[in-house]
Amino acid sequence: MKLAGLKSVENAHEESVWAATWIPATDNRPSLLVTGSLDETVKLWKSDELDLDRTNTGHCLGVVSVAAHPSGYIAASASLDSFVRIFEVDSNSTIATLEAPPSEVWQMRFNPEGTMLAVAGGGSASIKIWDTSTWKLAATLSIPRPEGPKPTDKTASKKFVLSVAWSVDGRRLACGSMDGTISVFDVARAKFLHHLEGHFMPVRSLVYSPVEPRLLFSASDDAHVHMYDAEGKTLIGAMSGHSSWVLSVDASPDGAAVATGSSDRTVRLWDLNMRTAVQTMTNHSDQVWGVAFRPPGAGVRSGRLASVSDDKSISLYDYS
Amino acid sequence: MVKETECCDVPGLTPAASEPEIEKAYHIKEEVAVEKDHVRESGTPYITSRQLQDTVNAHPDDPSSHFKLGIFLWENGGSHDKAVAADHFLKSAKLDPQNAAAFKYLGDYYATFSVDIERALKCYQRAVSLDAHDLHSGEALCNLLHREGKESLEVAICKEASSKSTRAFWAFRRLGYLQVFQKKWTEAVLSLQHAIRGYPSCADLWEALGLAYQRLGRFTAAIKSYARAIEIEGDRILAWVESGNIFLMLGLFKKGVEHFQRALEISPKSITAQFGLSSGLLGLAKECINRGAFKWASFLLEEASKVARGSTYLAGNLSCIWKLLGDIQHTYAKCYPWMEEDWGLCAESFRTSILSWKKTRSLALLSAKCSYQQALHLAPWEANIYTDIAITLDIISTLNGDSGSEFNSWQISEKMTLGALMLEGDNHEFWVAMGCISNHDALKQHAFIRALQLDGSLAGAWAYLGKLYRNRGEMQLARQAFNYARSIDPSLAIPWAGMSADLNIRESTSDEAFESCLRAASILPVAEFQIGLAKLSLQAGHLSSPQVFGAIRQAVQLAPCYPESYNLNGLAFEAQLDYQSAVAAYRLAHLTTSHFSDTVPRSHVRDISINLARSLCMVGNFFEASQEYENLSKEGMLDIEGLQVYAFSLWKLGKNDQALSTVRTLASCISTMEKTRTAASVGFICRLLYSISGLDSAINSIMKMPTHFFRSSKVSFVVAAIQAIDGCDRLDSIVLSCRSCLQSHEEITKMHILIALSKLIKHQTDNCLGFHSGVMHLRKALHAYPNSSLMRNLLGYLLLSNEERDDNHTATRCCNMLYGFDQQNKCLKSAYEIHGAGAVACYTIGTSHPRFSFPTCSYQCQNGIGTIRQLQKCLRQDPWNYDARYLLILNILQKAREERFPCHLRATVERLILVAFSNEPYFNKDTSHQYKKFQLLLCASEISLQGNDQIKCINYAKAASSISLSDNYLFYAHLLLCRAYAAENDSNNLRNEFIKCLDLKTDNYLGWVCLKFIASRYELHVESNSLELSFKKGSVEIKDLQHVVIPVSSLVDGLISFWSQDFMAAEKYFAQACSSGRDDGCLLLCHGVTCMVLAKQLCSPHFLRLAVNSLLKAQVISVVPIPMVSITLAQAEGSLGLKENWESGLRFEWFSWPPDMRPAELLFQMHLLAKQSKVGPDQLRVELCQSPLRWVLRAIHVNPSCMRYWKVLQSLWNEG
Repeated sequence: MKLAGLKSVENAHEESVWAATWIPATDNRPSLLVTGSLDETVKLWKSDELDLDRTNTGHCLGVVSVAAHPSGYIAASASLDSFVRIFEVDSNSTIATLEAPPSEVWQMRFNPEGTMLAVAGGGSASIKIWDTSTWKLAATLSIPRPEGPKPTDKTASKKFVLSVAWSVDGRRLACGSMDGTISVFDVARAKFLHHLEGHFMPVRSLVYSPVEPRLLFSASDDAHVHMYDAEGKTLIGAMSGHSSWVLSVDASPDGAAVATGSSDRTVRLWDLNMRTAVQTMTNHSDQVWGVAFRPPGAGVRSGRLASVSDDKSISLYDYS
Repeated sequence: MVKETECCDVPGLTPAASEPEIEKAYHIKEEVAVEKDHVRESGTPYITSRQLQDTVNAHPDDPSSHFKLGIFLWENGGSHDKAVAADHFLKSAKLDPQNAAAFKYLGDYYATFSVDIERALKCYQRAVSLDAHDLHSGEALCNLLHREGKESLEVAICKEASSKSTRAFWAFRRLGYLQVFQKKWTEAVLSLQHAIRGYPSCADLWEALGLAYQRLGRFTAAIKSYARAIEIEGDRILAWVESGNIFLMLGLFKKGVEHFQRALEISPKSITAQFGLSSGLLGLAKECINRGAFKWASFLLEEASKVARGSTYLAGNLSCIWKLLGDIQHTYAKCYPWMEEDWGLCAESFRTSILSWKKTRSLALLSAKCSYQQALHLAPWEANIYTDIAITLDIISTLNGDSGSEFNSWQISEKMTLGALMLEGDNHEFWVAMGCISNHDALKQHAFIRALQLDGSLAGAWAYLGKLYRNRGEMQLARQAFNYARSIDPSLAIPWAGMSADLNIRESTSDEAFESCLRAASILPVAEFQIGLAKLSLQAGHLSSPQVFGAIRQAVQLAPCYPESYNLNGLAFEAQLDYQSAVAAYRLAHLTTSHFSDTVPRSHVRDISINLARSLCMVGNFFEASQEYENLSKEGMLDIEGLQVYAFSLWKLGKNDQALSTVRTLASCISTMEKTRTAASVGFICRLLYSISGLDSAINSIMKMPTHFFRSSKVSFVVAAIQAIDGCDRLDSIVLSCRSCLQSHEEITKMHILIALSKLIKHQTDNCLGFHSGVMHLRKALHAYPNSSLMRNLLGYLLLSNEERDDNHTATRCCNMLYGFDQQNKCLKSAYEIHGAGAVACYTIGTSHPRFSFPTCSYQCQNGIGTIRQLQKCLRQDPWNYDARYLLILNILQKAREERFPCHLRATVERLILVAFSNEPYFNKDTSHQYKKFQLLLCASEISLQGNDQIKCINYAKAASSISLSDNYLFYAHLLLCRAYAAENDSNNLRNEFIKCLDLKTDNYLGWVCLKFIASRYELHVESNSLELSFKKGSVEIKDLQHVVIPVSSLVDGLISFWSQDFMAAEKYFAQACSSGRDDGCLLLCHGVTCMVLAKQLCSPHFLRLAVNSLLKAQVISVVPIPMVSITLAQAEGSLGLKENWESGLRFEWFSWPPDMRPAELLFQMHLLAKQSKVGPDQLRVELCQSPLRWVLRAIHVNPSCMRYWKVLQSLWNEG
């Protein structure tokens, strides 16, 4: 497996680019790359030339997260002041605006069926789940507080939730916290199941394997990428190589590789069988906030990986 | 369609083809005879067929009319007519022997009605040889031949047909099936491929092709063919099962399992599918085990064993199923993990949980043993089952703890292996198994060597041999054996482990040993390797690495009875700073020692206790920690580190006397300590002494200590810190002497920071720290270490804290944000905080957006937007960073103020503030947090005021005023209240708040100026004296008083006079302000404008000249051109008759405005300029870019309400 650089857009945004994801293809258009930036805009790009398709404005602070509905028609963007804007991809008309207290919206993900939007709830130490038909808050999955001798001892801020991920079968939800723990929830019963241990610094990004519902990948500030059996609460692989925080992780559609972006300004591709980095891309000149594999779909044969960085640029790679 | 172009030689084609040729001739003769008979027998034809009959009668020699009649009768008539039809066919065939169809019908007749197989065969044969494409005849012929058992004939017919025409697809199909049946795979592939061209949607063909490919070993092609068959017909069980088998063979267990599951959905009782499913699950489970996912593996194995058990009920006499079941149970027993979850720290439940774990394992082993025995019973000739049983027996005996000490008697496991060897003595694997199972060293060695004789490249045998030698202490041989094994198969774990152990003994650096062990543990996750890995990592300092953490967590699952695994797990937790979990792990270690391991050495128990106590201390549970230490010290097993932590926890518990006595014990040990550890102890003693008995006693003790104690950088920091607090400089000599120990740049910069801080304390005045001396020191130090971001940040912080004017710009410039964020090095304040605070500290308008205002800061600080973005970056990186959030709020408020509080910014600030209030730090009662809360409340209040929500504004401001802070700060809360009441027209409250402000007083002239404004604006008549008194001039330096305060005060007075139309007084005040020595464009503009007004009123050229002077000065000194300056100047100079200057001034004015902000008057004046300009077209001037008429039109467009413009327009129109 390898990555080959296809195209890079310098100054794609006026400021640091913080979030990226792919909007799946629909009947009348191919898939789009959507990026969010500190310059308060969300931009949509056509692959493979990375032609700018549209610039969405409307956020008052930097855009920290973007998410795409599996149907490809709806997407969501959230800014630092925790306004989530749900918009129609093709017309940019606003469908809903979800509001949460600032600091309570970080990573967002739609579930595979597209019926729910999970939002990493930051300081609220919980995941907020929004119903995508009514756009009402459907559930709040809270991380139980540990029974320590001093329950007031800053535990709430320690459990600051940064990242969230759905398992491929949609039955499990995992969230990563500032203290390095990962919490796994049963979605159907809205119940906390257990913690996954191993990281000891903030877990910035999480993703389940697209082929194996038990397998979870996590990226943390401790410069490691971990692989968990999320059901059996076992750490089954730790991959070292980054020299600084790992800010984002995404799994390839074939489930054989993961890509990571890091504060050490590199994008790495990891072979899951060998559990080592098989390639390191050094084309970014500042920390890489987001990596995203293009989801497979009709007419999409070749794999694509996009990365976005603080250096205001977007890069596209061929994954094979 | 799979394209295959392989050429193949088909033997026997020619002779087989010649045979039917002979038969054909014979066959035709027969047919003619038969036809004759039929003609004789046939009686009355049908009326409906009259026409056809007539034609036949008319042309009895025409074969086609016979044929047509025959077909009519054949298809429409009853069984009697069939015979007549056959008669006609016969005639037709006789007349036209090339008519294949006639022969086909005849064949059908003979085959079905007058059952005459021989004739039928011949007719069909004739039909086929005439028309190779004839599917019906061909199939019928082959079916007949097949029924007769003439397979070779069948093949020959097909081959002939296929050789005649490439489109005889039926023949290819038949041939393909036959070749598959005959296992001629290569030929079958060709035939089937050809046939598929004719019948692309025939699932059978694809399936057969898949099978052929599979047998040829071309698995990818086979999988594709099967997939095609499945695509055509979803329930092809063979395709599902066989492709599943291929996937298993290729190691793609997951896909294989999916296929078998699908097959079982179609046919739930298919033994092959069940067998495939359970072996697929076993394969998956083994993959999981290799990764270390034991829970996952056991889940899969439970599933697998359910399926396999089910198939033993269906087909209990298949040895291979029993063997598979045995394998599954055997693997399950090996991987079943112990999970520490369902119980607290209760000893009893821990015990039962461990016991039930053990029981599950041994039960699985027992049933594995039974299953293997069943298998063996069914197939006693299968040698490998013997070894399987032997291995299971061996594991059972180790699990039960049998040491197998009876040397004389054979063990059953050994015996069983011998059984295998008796059957297959030349199988090297059995020899290896023998070697592993046997307890006798000699026999072991013999077995391994025998295996190696059989196959020299047997890596496993080499590895075990190495292990054997190692155990016997023959290191040289062992190393050799391991090296062999490793070079043959580097993916084998044992040699790596062996090498690691070897390296660990031989060499002092343990990194290499660690690496080898890491490799071993990642290849084969077994508890022994994992525990070894953790031990090595402790030596090599890799304990916090996640690989080690994962390994040790898995070791706990695999070896829960072994205290060392918990102990190491605790250490790993500690390395990750998770002390709570570490405590739990150490407690478990203690429980295990008391319950399951009888022979744990005392030293191990002591180590665990020390670890436990230390972690307890880190968690904050000092009481239990000190108890642990007390127990240890009673047994005399407390080491130096233990003593330190003991003393610390005693101090935390408030037992100062005991703590001091412990420290004394510790001090007495120092001289006997290793040098490297002295520093830590000395530093600790100094700090503890300071904490317990205060500064003086600590200094006295330090002075008593021998000087060589302080030869360390760590101690020097402690001593320097104590010295900084000490007012009498008693430790100067010691501090100076120990500074020489500082080596690295990092240490030296840190020491500089400490010195700077100490200067702050030492040079402090009554209410102010000695910032100046601190700044001076840092400046000097920075000269030596210009790239120390720590020092830069501190310098920035001190400059900001200094509250001296203009220092904030220096502060932001001296610390650089471009270095990014410091991940570890945090010293008091980081760069983003300096920048955030610095940006707010400059209250001059810095906006770079000309739409709102023009920048007035003489330092040109335009970092507003940049800072907001930087702060957002900080917040993105550390969303829990309250300081960044706080500074962000202040900066956005600043931006909102510059942009005149637009709605969206108000909303943003409001939301950010709301959540900030709920943040925990603001519930703290200390001053800094209360101050921040106060600021936030003021922000919220201001925003509400700007949003015309006075009630909210008043509430916030009242809340702010009730916070207990110094009067200086509270002044602003009341000032805001004044403004709020003023906006509400509540004059009573306004007056009250105003008086409150006067009472509180302020030391900031801006506040005071605001007060003055309010007094004049709302006509609050107070004694001017009290207003003056409310400004605490004492705290302002003389320089500032002259340069800033007096001009501003005069400015305000001037403005107030100006508003009250007292221009003379205003001019006086402004002149006073301008003459204070500090030139400011805006001040000069004010003066100029006032002079202009006066000049107009009094018609005095004196004032005109004054105005020109001030405005000229303003034009020259302002960095960014201030609008209105030039135009006013132009006007003044124009009035003085200097027309040239008026023109250039107007042009200059044009460029001092941002394009979309230019006022109507300017446009209007440009028209005058344009009208007067008579310069040639080569000189490009602004006014000439359009006609005077256009200028006026533009002016009217901007301000249509001015009649003057309209009049001029009219006159221009008339002229034009």
